[in-house]
Amino acid sequence: MIDAIVSEWLKLRSLRSNLYLLAFSVLSVLLCAGLAFMVSRGIDNQTGDDRLRFDSIGSGLGAGLPVAYFVMGALGALSITSEHATGLIRTSLVAVPRRQLFLFAKIPPLVAVTLVAGQVLVFGMHFAAQAVLGDRAGQVLLDGRTLGASLTDPGVAAGLLVAGAAMPLVAMVGLGLGAVIRSTAGSMVTLIMILFVLPVVAQTLPGPWRARIGSFMMESLPDQIVAGEGAGILSPLAASAVLIAYPVVALTAGAVAIAVRGRGIRPLAVGGLVAALLAAVTVIPSSAAASALPWKPCGGDLECASVQVPVDWSKPSGRKVSIQIARLPAAGTHRRIGTVFSIPGGPGGSGIEDLKKKGGSFAELRRRFDVVSLAPRNTTDLGVIPFDCLRAGPWITVPADRAEYDSLAARNRASAEQCRKVDPEYFDHLDSGSVARDIEAIRVALEEERLSFVATSYGGVVATTYARLFPGGVRAMYIDGGVDHLADHATDLRLKSEMIEGQFTRFATWCASTATCALQGRDAGAVWRGLTAAADRSPVPVQGERVAYSGFDFKVAAAPDLISPGPAPDFANWQRFARAVDKAVQGDASGFADYVEQATESMKVPSFRGMNVTHCTDGLGFDGYQEFQRMKALGERLSPNFAGDELWHPLGCVGWPAPVTNPAAPMPADRLPPFLGAGTWTDHDITADIVMRVPGSSTVRYNGPGHGLYLSGNRCAIAHANRYLTSLRLPPRGTTCEPPAAG
Amino acid sequence: MIEVTGLTMRYGDALAVDDLTFAVRPGLVTGFLGPNGAGKSTTMRVILGLETPGTGTALVGGRPYGSLKEPMREVGALLDAGAVHGGRSAAAHLWCLARSNGIGRGRVGEVLEQVGLAEVADRRIAGFSLGMRQRLGIAAALLGDPDVLMFDEPVNGLDPEGIRWIRELMRLLAGEGRTVLVSSHLMGEMALTADHVVVIGRGRLIADTTMPELVERFQRGVLVRAADQRTLADVLRAGGASVGEEDGGLSVSGLDAARIGELALSRGIALRELTPRSASLEEAFMELTGESVEFGAGRAA
Repeated sequence: MIDAIVSEWLKLRSLRSNLYLLAFSVLSVLLCAGLAFMVSRGIDNQTGDDRLRFDSIGSGLGAGLPVAYFVMGALGALSITSEHATGLIRTSLVAVPRRQLFLFAKIPPLVAVTLVAGQVLVFGMHFAAQAVLGDRAGQVLLDGRTLGASLTDPGVAAGLLVAGAAMPLVAMVGLGLGAVIRSTAGSMVTLIMILFVLPVVAQTLPGPWRARIGSFMMESLPDQIVAGEGAGILSPLAASAVLIAYPVVALTAGAVAIAVRGRGIRPLAVGGLVAALLAAVTVIPSSAAASALPWKPCGGDLECASVQVPVDWSKPSGRKVSIQIARLPAAGTHRRIGTVFSIPGGPGGSGIEDLKKKGGSFAELRRRFDVVSLAPRNTTDLGVIPFDCLRAGPWITVPADRAEYDSLAARNRASAEQCRKVDPEYFDHLDSGSVARDIEAIRVALEEERLSFVATSYGGVVATTYARLFPGGVRAMYIDGGVDHLADHATDLRLKSEMIEGQFTRFATWCASTATCALQGRDAGAVWRGLTAAADRSPVPVQGERVAYSGFDFKVAAAPDLISPGPAPDFANWQRFARAVDKAVQGDASGFADYVEQATESMKVPSFRGMNVTHCTDGLGFDGYQEFQRMKALGERLSPNFAGDELWHPLGCVGWPAPVTNPAAPMPADRLPPFLGAGTWTDHDITADIVMRVPGSSTVRYNGPGHGLYLSGNRCAIAHANRYLTSLRLPPRGTTCEPPAAG
Repeated sequence: MIEVTGLTMRYGDALAVDDLTFAVRPGLVTGFLGPNGAGKSTTMRVILGLETPGTGTALVGGRPYGSLKEPMREVGALLDAGAVHGGRSAAAHLWCLARSNGIGRGRVGEVLEQVGLAEVADRRIAGFSLGMRQRLGIAAALLGDPDVLMFDEPVNGLDPEGIRWIRELMRLLAGEGRTVLVSSHLMGEMALTADHVVVIGRGRLIADTTMPELVERFQRGVLVRAADQRTLADVLRAGGASVGEEDGGLSVSGLDAARIGELALSRGIALRELTPRSASLEEAFMELTGESVEFGAGRAA
């Protein structure tokens, strides 16, 4: 045995042609460098977000790996076909009459040579590609990958080692093929078919077959074995089994072919059995079995289903209500990681509507995830509580004293009762805690061990509540423009004051330099402060209506326009705000009342009952008159331009009939994975306050206006979020995204 | 010792070897004769385990070749001088083979010396002439210093000096007590080398005999020319011979040349020529295998 192996080693070593063949494999390194050069040129010719659309070249092996595999396969094939071609096989078989021993003795020398050569090559390919890419390698792309991948990135070194370790397996495939085919030309053609032609053919297949067949191609297996970021649907175990099955099948065929007549049965039996066992591994489902939920198509890609939950989670066997859910199924091109659950904002928004209208934002994520969302129980248009009742509400005034506070409470309570009386039990259980428990029920119905979350705006409250109640169900948590439920009221007020003051400063700066701003030439800040202060003393009437705006009313009406200026460079909402201020200064508040009425069918912004049902039960209100007074005083100190605005939401909860069922409480940070937050000028810092409560978390700041970066399709934020959701890798703290250059 | 017993080998419908039985003994050079296509190479391939026979056995030293652990130490074979990879040097080729049978590197130099290739040991085989390749093949056969040697048509492509070298090598090997089987389709060559011959045609055994016996079998009488041929004819007939006239002389059979000479002397008849005749070995070979030649000239007409 040893003698035969050493003899084969001598054979391999004593042919100069083998050395030339190995030298040829350096071509693979050049190819990788060439591809990296082309990609670099391409990306240098693009700007901004267009760069994010490039495909990652991963660790850089793509172009060269099949070439390197071919060389190793050819080395294996030639070790036997050259014996057939020259007739040496007869001499060899006289020297080693046990044919299978003769064939298998070729394996150890081939393994040794190709393993060493393979490792040198893959690292050569990697370093060549990375060297060409340079700094561009770190560019985070839309699909959550970086353009290149450095050796220190998780999984990269392992992926390279596996790709190199696959070389001996390819050599054995070549050896087996050579033993079967005997002709050098025939073996080379077959290797080219397996390594080059079939993968290309697989790419031309339609729909799911492209991924299914493509995943079984040799060159795509190493990445799947290390659960890398590339395409392929096989689990690491299944990919390993397939990779091993290739040489097992080839060598079995070779051992049968080389056997003297009638002696091929044993290798056939053994090889067949091993191949069958390996094939069985690939049949084992790669991730959790498809859930038993009866999904039905409901427009476009969307599939819908529903889950029954108790109205009152403290009475699990009590009255049930049906929660509608929808999913955008995974595309099936990559190994599925699980489910991304999108928690909508509001409160009162529908995640199903988000998927319908903004599902395109999830396109890249769907390579690896099902994307699921829900129409939460507090969605305003479900119909359990009439929509017309929820969308309206009383006008809020800032109480001047205890008596006014109490009368506000009475008004609020009476207003709330109009909706509550329809279904008091349901009305009292529209807090985020109930929604979080509903999501947990959905997780169970989805048969997912854990969920990865994309929480937008008020969805952040639901998200942190879920994380507090069910930390084990959280695989990843991305919070986008989140509402802060966890900060104490004073901190929250400070953050909101800083936010709106910062935004007012941006507005004032813009106004001073822009001809289309109605206040240009005046000190916008002084004008605004003058207007609101005067209106608080003597409200400004709306022309032709029996309605007048106090300073508080102006602030509540102005805040949305101030926060969302509209698309650059026009900033239409800022223009509208400036015009409305200009008009109000001249004694007419209709500039505000007109657009408030368009949006709410009310001359002033009403305190929406549909939001309060959740705000108030989540504990956003004051715990009493004392706290109201403290907050009011604090706001006046912190927010020269918008003091009082921050009181609007909490004042809506004064006198609320339903109890606070989901008060703020800390998350079990030690049992949670690091979070990722993302936010704009106006919501980054608040989001950061939420996510930084979990150690190791990070945020992305977008240096522009807006709210809800992911759903609104901000590619830079999506790229970082996808990278986090896919591979749980966070951008460094302080990472920023820039708006597209004006022009 | 090589023993072939009841060997039958079929390629599709063609019967290449048909119930062949013979033994090759040590200490002798055994010629394995037969026209092209007679089944010589096939038989040798079966002995070396390269083919599996339909029926029958071929044993070397009492065991099938395939069961030998280090076969080159027991059997050395030259089947086809072309069965080498031209890209290796002679020494590397031999070293690969030697190592597979646990034979030391020193033997490579020894056999190269023995076959006269020492000077070209490090040259690639691709540049070798057919004769050099034959020598290399013989060197490979000798590597394991085996007791049994088989050579298939070893003189092909060799120059006269090479042919004589091979003859002497075989005699030497047999003289050392080894079993030597040499195939050839040339009878004359065998006559000079072999002690024993196995003749086959169309896969069947035709003769298995010693070389002198084979020569004896094809004795063609004695040609005599004398001054008085008529008297001599009578004398010889009286002596028990049958006598015919041929080409102005007498063709005598039944008496050997010595006895004819004695009878002529006793009668005082002067002999002008006394030539014992045998069929040429080539003729004998043709005669033996005539029926069995697959593509004989006669049938081709």
